[in-house]
Parts: sequence; C-alpha cells; structure tokens
Amino acid sequence: MDKPLNRPIQQTLNDFSFIGQDNVRVMDEVYEEDSFWKQLVKRIAKNKGSVFGFVTITLIIFMALVGPMISGYEFDEQIAGHESMAPRIPVMENFGIFDGSETLKTSTGELVVNKYETIEGGEDAYHWFGTDVLGRDLFTRTWVGTRISLYIALVAVIVDVFIGMSYGMISGYYGGKVDNAMQRSVEVLNGIPNLVVVTLLIIVLKPGLMSITLAIAITGWIGMSRVSRASMLKLKESEYVLAARTMGAKDMTIMYKEILPNIFSQLLIMSMFSIPNAIFTEAFLAFVGIGIPVPMASLGSLISENFKSLTTHFYMIVPPVLVLALLMLSFNLLADGLRDALDPTMKEV
Amino acid sequence: MKNLSKKSLWLSGAASLLLLSACDTEATDEVDESVEAEAPAETDEQVLNVQLNVEVASMDPQIATDGTSFEVIANTIEGLYQTDSDGQAVPALVESAEKGEDGLSYTFKLREDATWSNGEPVTAHDFVYAWRRLADPDTGSEYSYIMGIAGLVNANEVLAGEKAPEELGVQASDDYTLDVQLANPVPYFESLMSFIPFFPLNEDFMTEVGDSYGTSPETLLANGAYEVSSYEPAATTIELDKNEEYYDADNVVLDGVDYQVIKDSQQAMLSYQNGDLDLVTLAGEQVDLFKDDPEFVNVQAGYLWYISPNTLVEGLENANLRKALATSFDKQQITDTILKDGSVPADYIIPDGLAVGPDGKDFRETSDTYLEYDPEGAKESLEAAKSELGQDSFTFGLLVEDTESAINVAQVLKSQIESNLDGVTIEIEQMPKKTRLERMKQADYDLGLTRWGPDYADPMTYADLWVTDGNNNDGAWSNADYDELVYSSIDGELSLDDEARWEALKEAESILLNDAGVLPVYQKGNAVMVQDNVSGIDFHAVGLPRVYKFAVKE
Amino acid sequence: MKKYILKRVGMSVVTLLVIVLVLFVLMQLLPGSPFNDERLSIEQQQVLMSKYGLNDSAPVQFFRYVRNMLTGDFGKSYTISKDTDVALLLQNRLPTSLLLGGLSILLGSVAGLFLGVAAALKHNSLLDSAATFFSVIGVSIPSYVFALGLSYFFGFQLSWLPMLYNADDGLRAFALPAVALSMTVMATVARFTRTEMIEVLNSDYMQLVESKGVSGVHLIFKHALRNASISIITILGPLVVSLMTGSLVVEKIFSIPGIGQLMVQAIQSNDYNVILALAFVYSALYIFVMLAVDILYGVLDPRIRLAKEDAHG
Repeated sequence: MDKPLNRPIQQTLNDFSFIGQDNVRVMDEVYEEDSFWKQLVKRIAKNKGSVFGFVTITLIIFMALVGPMISGYEFDEQIAGHESMAPRIPVMENFGIFDGSETLKTSTGELVVNKYETIEGGEDAYHWFGTDVLGRDLFTRTWVGTRISLYIALVAVIVDVFIGMSYGMISGYYGGKVDNAMQRSVEVLNGIPNLVVVTLLIIVLKPGLMSITLAIAITGWIGMSRVSRASMLKLKESEYVLAARTMGAKDMTIMYKEILPNIFSQLLIMSMFSIPNAIFTEAFLAFVGIGIPVPMASLGSLISENFKSLTTHFYMIVPPVLVLALLMLSFNLLADGLRDALDPTMKEV
Repeated sequence: MKNLSKKSLWLSGAASLLLLSACDTEATDEVDESVEAEAPAETDEQVLNVQLNVEVASMDPQIATDGTSFEVIANTIEGLYQTDSDGQAVPALVESAEKGEDGLSYTFKLREDATWSNGEPVTAHDFVYAWRRLADPDTGSEYSYIMGIAGLVNANEVLAGEKAPEELGVQASDDYTLDVQLANPVPYFESLMSFIPFFPLNEDFMTEVGDSYGTSPETLLANGAYEVSSYEPAATTIELDKNEEYYDADNVVLDGVDYQVIKDSQQAMLSYQNGDLDLVTLAGEQVDLFKDDPEFVNVQAGYLWYISPNTLVEGLENANLRKALATSFDKQQITDTILKDGSVPADYIIPDGLAVGPDGKDFRETSDTYLEYDPEGAKESLEAAKSELGQDSFTFGLLVEDTESAINVAQVLKSQIESNLDGVTIEIEQMPKKTRLERMKQADYDLGLTRWGPDYADPMTYADLWVTDGNNNDGAWSNADYDELVYSSIDGELSLDDEARWEALKEAESILLNDAGVLPVYQKGNAVMVQDNVSGIDFHAVGLPRVYKFAVKE
Repeated sequence: MKKYILKRVGMSVVTLLVIVLVLFVLMQLLPGSPFNDERLSIEQQQVLMSKYGLNDSAPVQFFRYVRNMLTGDFGKSYTISKDTDVALLLQNRLPTSLLLGGLSILLGSVAGLFLGVAAALKHNSLLDSAATFFSVIGVSIPSYVFALGLSYFFGFQLSWLPMLYNADDGLRAFALPAVALSMTVMATVARFTRTEMIEVLNSDYMQLVESKGVSGVHLIFKHALRNASISIITILGPLVVSLMTGSLVVEKIFSIPGIGQLMVQAIQSNDYNVILALAFVYSALYIFVMLAVDILYGVLDPRIRLAKEDAHG
C-alpha cells in the first residue's frame, strides 16, 4: 500500500516465497474476529494523517462545546475599556509572549502598548485570544463561531450525501430521457451564478441562520451530483453491474449495494470539499454584510469582521483563520484515511 | 519504476515552473522600467492623487445625488456661486447679484469670460435650461424638490406636473443676465446656488450627445477648474486635467487630479504610505496608528446619525419610553472607541457647523442640548413608561444598513440599551440600504438607525423632515406646534423675519427632542490623511465635501 | 457527434432563457425598489417607474427584456451608474474580469496539476504531505486574507508589483490578483488530480501499459493523466463560475474594475438590469464551459461518447 507501483514485483516475489504456517493463521484471525467496522477502525488507525485529523476534529468540537463556558466571558459581552486588547495567557506571559503587549506600527514610529497595564482592573484580566474592537473576548467568540461553522459543515455534508449523491446516481444510472431532464434542471439551477442565487435568496428571505442553511441546501449539492453522475456513467457499463443485473438485481440494489461502495470514497472526498465551500459561502455572505446576524458569530463572519483590523491589530484574525484552517486540514486528512479504509479497490493492495 | 516516477515528476515540474517563471521575469522586467520611467514624470507634473470610496454614479449635475459624484462634477463645472474655505458662498460665474427689496427676486449678472470646454460661452440660457431640466418631472431628478426649497415661482406646480417647466420663475433677459422670481423670501438662496443641481448645462451640447451625456470624456463639458480626460461609467480610475480655458486658470496650480476608487480602507492606507495617493479617508482602527501623524486631519461632516422610532408601533408611541431609549446609550463611548474618526456625540438634531444665523453665530452656539446620556434618568423614564403602558418588557427590532460602522454602532447600542434598561430587548436586523429604506417607508419597523445629510446651509434641511405626513417622516411623529413653526418658517409669516425665524427653528428643535421624536446618536466626522506636500484642499460639512481648486502639491 | 453537439447547443439556448425567467421571478421578489431613495417623493418614484416600464406586468417586462436582449440592448442601469446603458458597463468591465479569471484558471490548474501528479507519484511521502498541506491552505484561508497578505508583502514591503490595478500596467497589474484568485483552483485541482492519479496508477491497464514497455513522461501524460483528466475536467467547469465569488473580493481589494463587485452592488441597490445582464453573462459562460466539458468528455473517453450516441441517437 505504501508503494503501490512496486506491487507487481512484490507479488511476484511472494508467489515464489515459502508460505509458512504463521501467515495462514494470521489471515484466519483477521476474518474470524474483526467485523467490518473493526476493520475499518484498524485501517483508519494505521494512517497517521487520519488519526491526526480525527483527533483535531474531536478537539475542535470539544472546544466549541466547552470553550465558551470556561472563558468567563459571554460571546456578546462588550466590556467598556477592553477594546482591542492583545492576547494574554497566564503562565506564558512570564516568558514574554502573550503578555498582552502589542506593537503598533504607527506612522510616527513603533509603539509598544499593553492595555492590561493601563486600564483599571486590567492586571487581573486575561483574554486568551485578545478582544475585538468592541471589547468582546475573542476566545469565547471563536468557539461560539466554530459551532456555527460546524453546523454549516454538517448541513453541507448532509445535503451532499442525501440530495447530491442520489440525484447524480439516479441521473447517471437511468440515462436517456431521465438523465436529460434531470441534467437540464441542474443546468438551470447551476447556470445561475451561485453568488446571485444565495444573495438574492437571503435578501428575499430575512437574513439569518435559517436562510443561510436554505441557501446552502439549494445550491450546495450540485457539484456532488455531477461527480456521482460521472462516476456512475463510468461504472454502470462494467461487467459486475451487468452480472448483477443478469442475476435479477433491482435498480436500487445495483445502485446502492453494487455501485455506491465503489464510488463512495471519491464522493466522500468531494463532500469534504463542499465543507469549505459551504463555510466560505457563509463567510462570503458575512463579507457582503448579510451573513449570520450580529452579534452572533461564525468563523467566517469573525474572519471578515476582524479582517478590517488586519493591518492594525493582526492578532484578531489569527484565531478564526487558524481554527478554520485546522478544521479544513483535519477534514481532508480524515477523508483520506476514510478513503483508504473504505475503498474496495485499495483494499487489495 | 522508482526512477521513472522521479524523472517524470521532474519533467512535469519543470514544465510548470517554466510557465510560472516566464510570467515572473516578464513582470519584474517591467517593474524596473516603469519605476524609472514614471518617477521623473511625476515631479514635473503636479497631479493630485485622491482616493474615492465608491464609483461615480452620474456625471450629470441634475441626476447625481451622492457626495462622490458631486465632488467630481464640482471640479469640472462651476455654478453661480462656490463655497469658500469657510463654507460661505462666494461668487463664481456671478459678476454681480441684485436682490429685490422684498427678497422675492434676484437678478444675476454673469461674467462674460467664462466658456465651456468646447469654446461656447457660458450664458444665462445654460442656467435656464438646466433649472427647467431639474424641475421637469420627466427628468426624474432626485433633487428636483430642491427647486421648491429655493422657492422659485411655480416650482411646486412644475414638480407636480401641473405646469410646464417653461413657467418656472427663471428667465434669461439677455445672454448674461439671469432673472429669478421667488414665491417667498429664501434667506439662504445664494448659498443654495453653490449646490450642484443648480449648475448649468449647455443645451446645444446636450441635444447633440443626447442620452450618452457623461459616458466618456467626449460627452462631457467643463467650465470649471479641471476637465475630464479619462472616464467611463462606473470607472475605478478617473483623470482630470487642468482646464486651460477656465477664466480663473491662472489661480489653478495643479496640472490635474487623478481619482482612484479603493473600497478597502486598509489597501488605501498602504497605497498612501507607498506614496501612490495624496489623500485618503481612514476607517476605525487605523486612526489609532495615524492619529499622531502630522498628516492626519479630522474633518467635520454634516451627516447626522439618529434612530428613528416608529411611533405607530405599540410602546413607541409613549414619549417616556422613547426618552428612556434616547438617553440610555453612551454616545461619547460610541464616538471615541468605535468610530474614532472625529465623529462627535449629538445631543441635538441640527448639526454643528451647518448654518450661521442672522446674529452671525452658528446655530448650535446659541441653542440648547437635549437627550444627553443619563442612565439614571433613563431608568426613571422607563419606570414611568412601564406604569403608563402597563407592560414590563419590550422587544424592538433595530434596522441597520450592512456597513461596517453602522453594524458596530448598532451592536454597542444594543448592548448599552439592554444593560441600562431592564426588560428592553433590541434585535438587530441588518440589510442592504434599499431594503431598509423600503421597510421604513412602509412603516414596517420598530427602530431604524439612519442618517441625514444636509442639502443646504440652513436648519430647515433637517427641520422639515419631521412635519406631519412629511415624505421622510417614517416614524409618523406628529406635533401641531412643530408643524406650524416649520411651515411658517418655510413660506409663512416667519419667513419674512429672519431673526424670529431663527428663534422659531430653535423652538421647533426643542419640541422635537423634548418629546424624543427622534433619537440622535452622533454627528459624523471624517479622518483623512493628506500628504505634507499638499495644501489648499477645502473641506466642507455642507454640500460639497472637498474642493481642489486651490490645492497645491509641492 | 455533430448532430449531438448541435442538439446540445440548441438545448443550451433554451436553458439560458429559462435562467433569465428564473432570475426575473427572483427579482420580482426582491424587497425595495431602485427608486426608493429618501429624497424622491412618491409621485417622482412613480414617474421613474413608468419611465423605465417597471409598472408593467411581469410577463410584459419579461418579453420586452428578452426581445431587447436579442438586439444587444440590456437596458439602463438605475442606480450604480444612473441612466447608463448596461451594455456599456459590460463592455468596459467584462474583458478585465475575463482576463483575470482566465489567468487564474490557467495558473491554478497548472500548479494544481503539478502538485497533484507529484503527490500521487510519491503517495504517502513527505512530498505528498507537503502538497496536501499546500492545497488545504489554499482552500482554508479566505481569498481576501490571502489577497491583502500578498498585497502587503509584494506590493507594500517589497514594492515588486503594483498594489492597485492600473490599466497602463498591462499584465503586471494582474499578477497579484491572479495569484490570490488561483489559490482555490490550485487546491481543488491538486486534490482531485491526486485522487484520480492514484486510482489510475493502480489500475490494471496501467500495469498493462507499463508491461508493454511504455515509460516515463509518455506513461504519465499520455496514459495516466489522460484517464485522470476525465474527472478533473468535471470540476473545472463549476470552478470557472465559482471564481466569481472570489473575484468580487479580489476586485475590491486590488481595486479592479471587474464585474464581480458590480454584481453585489447591483443586488443590494436593486439595479435589476445590471443583475440580469451580469447573471446572463455568467450563465452563458457557464453553459458554454459545461458544453465544452461534455464534448471533451467524449473526446477523452470513448466509452462515454459511445454511450451518449446511443442515448441521443
């Protein structure tokens, strides 16, 4: 599996090598003891990247649930006087980092300021990620925002799997008139720029989480349907499908039992890609000013909000960008692991 | 197998790198050339580089409505008057003005040396044409109502389509004499004449270019300090050259003005620091970095931001509740920690620096302030309101436009109102401006954060907003005494007596604010950076924000 | 094949018409009006509405619009550039956007293909991880953060490239915006190429080709990449259109007179004709790309071509 291209040589060597008793016993154990899921877990666990991805996602979900509760601040609490404070973390401050000081590159020279020392009661205040321009704790906001973004990720995957995958498979499988009609409808829907549909839709409805969900649901699955249709086209003529059909398998069985397992990995990766797309759609809406209604936050809206202070208070945009990037990286790595574990063609290697 | 993949990898990599590096070398070569080529050229020519926040919407003086369009138009076209550095109207195309004894007529003698950039002289007919065009309902000018404000005979009838535009009270008795008849005295008539919608246009030229007026340098005419040399609709760069035919060209030092539309304020600031721009507007946080810079300038703008309460909504018809809301937020904190751009708390509705009265003093100097931040008083008013209404909790939506500053201000308002007033909940609803306007026009709102910019230098530009059934009185606040004072000041008895009128307007403001008919928040300021080798730019709060006629770049 | 293509083109025209109809309906639902500014009285608003024929019934407006559109008349802009022909706006702005989009697609696909092929050949190696990391960064950081970062380092600190768009700079003016915009393309193409290439490289027929003695560049490009490209092309189509979202942001930051910005402005200010015209242009572009993709499909994969010819006669 590590060096796929070396396989033929290895196999040749194996053919001629002596098969000991030990090898046979091990093979037996695998089939006797492990269920499908156990195998799956084992296979995923073998891939370091996917383990990292899984752990990070778990950690991020955990922080999204717990983070806002342990900071001691509310996500929409504006503390007068605490505007634009740099991060300050206990213990670490003693090493001269994250001690709440920041360097302002003013046009008249660099200026090191530490708001914690100048404001009343600042000595005892800790904002682990700093505060935004309205004096709200960014640690709390980042994790509250992560919740919304995770929710949107979930919506995206569900929509992809339930609508996109099925739509594409049905369209590809039946072909002919059905395919034609279904593809023409998609073309109309997809032909209208996503941006226009989403923006128009949200302005027509009231801006809010429900409208954003709906907007993503309406447009998010098209890419997936295209890929699953293409895969279906590739596979439906293959011998094993023909074989299944000859043996009297129903269309649904062929589609979901025979073909789906073979293309699921590819589709899964595609659906992982729809996560950043969905999250960015939301971030884009925030950028245009019709995203999650304030004072609520999402990672996307936090990025566009704090983007406005990028050249003045750089630290504000770092936490949401970092969490978002980590989340994306983890989803991708996990998707890779899943693919390797699920893909029947890869199993042989 | 291994060797193979390495080789092919290298090859495919090399192919892509080749492509990339091809772009690179081309780019870097060009950089060097242009740096050398441009540098000396810039020192020879004095061109002012100015940042705009938004594209020009129209170059047509009778159609344009926004500050940006006004600024570019005013650089190329001159009217009867212009605004000097103190904000006073001074003659431009007018050589002498004669005011009738009753204040009901004006005779303007125009200077005879003014010409359009196509060589035609600027005549009184150009004004008559432009004014009729402004008043004609078919033109669809948003500012046509200002003809009624100027008080011209038959203006309102022409606007309503009841009379032909030719019946408007303006005629050219000869090429250089403009006669104007007013229906009632208008104390600020001359200052109004420096406002863009009253600027002239050449009828022959307009007929020639037709609908394509203002779509390219060829379809534009100039009679002012500069002429357009590069322009297209919704352009992001606009170039103006000095107009050599301008009658006062000797006093214009700059060789031209280049506008660049940059919507992202951080990018604008970087370009400024790079030296690409001479004048930029700062936003919020950037002020922290530049406020000690000698090039930093704070300019007062006329815009007044306020909350309009919809008095048709249950609860908001109660004056005590409105008062509680109006006094429960700390305006100083909003201007100092959120806006930072020189905006000031507004405890009034007629902005500071808007208008000078018959006593020679600014309106605000001699009038009171109202609805100051007072959390204790707000709580008392709220208690009174609660017992009057028999209700303990209130939830109001707050309509906000989707701009950065408006959203931030709304969030602070929400936070402060909710913490100072027990039982009051504010729900922010953000939306595009057009949607907000529609909702407010339909009275489908509770509270709306909105603004009004002055059209002319008189308190009336604000006072007439809140008369009963007024076009922009979305909240339907109504007070008979207020109506009487305002109507009488427009064209009634009070309009004949400048001093009594001034006092009446002060009284009107006190009636409005003591009843908390609107909830003022702040008066907008602008934080701008001007390179230290640039001087002579005039900033104004009313009408034209910036004038470059006398600007110098060393 | 010819018959098939003709049929597809005809179908595309119908699709476009349906799209215009859908947009028309959506716009009827849009709250607000282009003429509800504070200073316009109700009567004046009515004058303006009837001047532009907005008081007519929706079907009348729709057919008039389609009829005018066929003669190249896209109506007038109501708010963004008052009373200006939308066709003129398009004429000024479209080429810039197309050039920028084209450059970004080119840059992104080349870089993405390179990363993807490299990662697939060195599956599970450090290079693979590095390529994955790059492509993830590409999709994880919003393009505006990236754009401002580029502008800050290359434009401001190093002064290598212009920070603001200026038509006089030629291609140089597009350098930073195109790189910023190409990130998403690169990332998506790289990820997909990698997946596809791994699958193709492991397939039986690749082993057959190998065993026949085909090797090196020929193997990778003629055989492996050609097969992988079928799926890769499917994602390029939608990507072209998704660039619009990115271009809005990049246009705003680099001050480029393109149509991405115009679009959002138009929606927010109820500039119906501008929305319609821009959406139409994008739709036409999209449908053209998809048509090209479908035809390319057939060229690249005989199995699909045959299947299609069966299906469509």
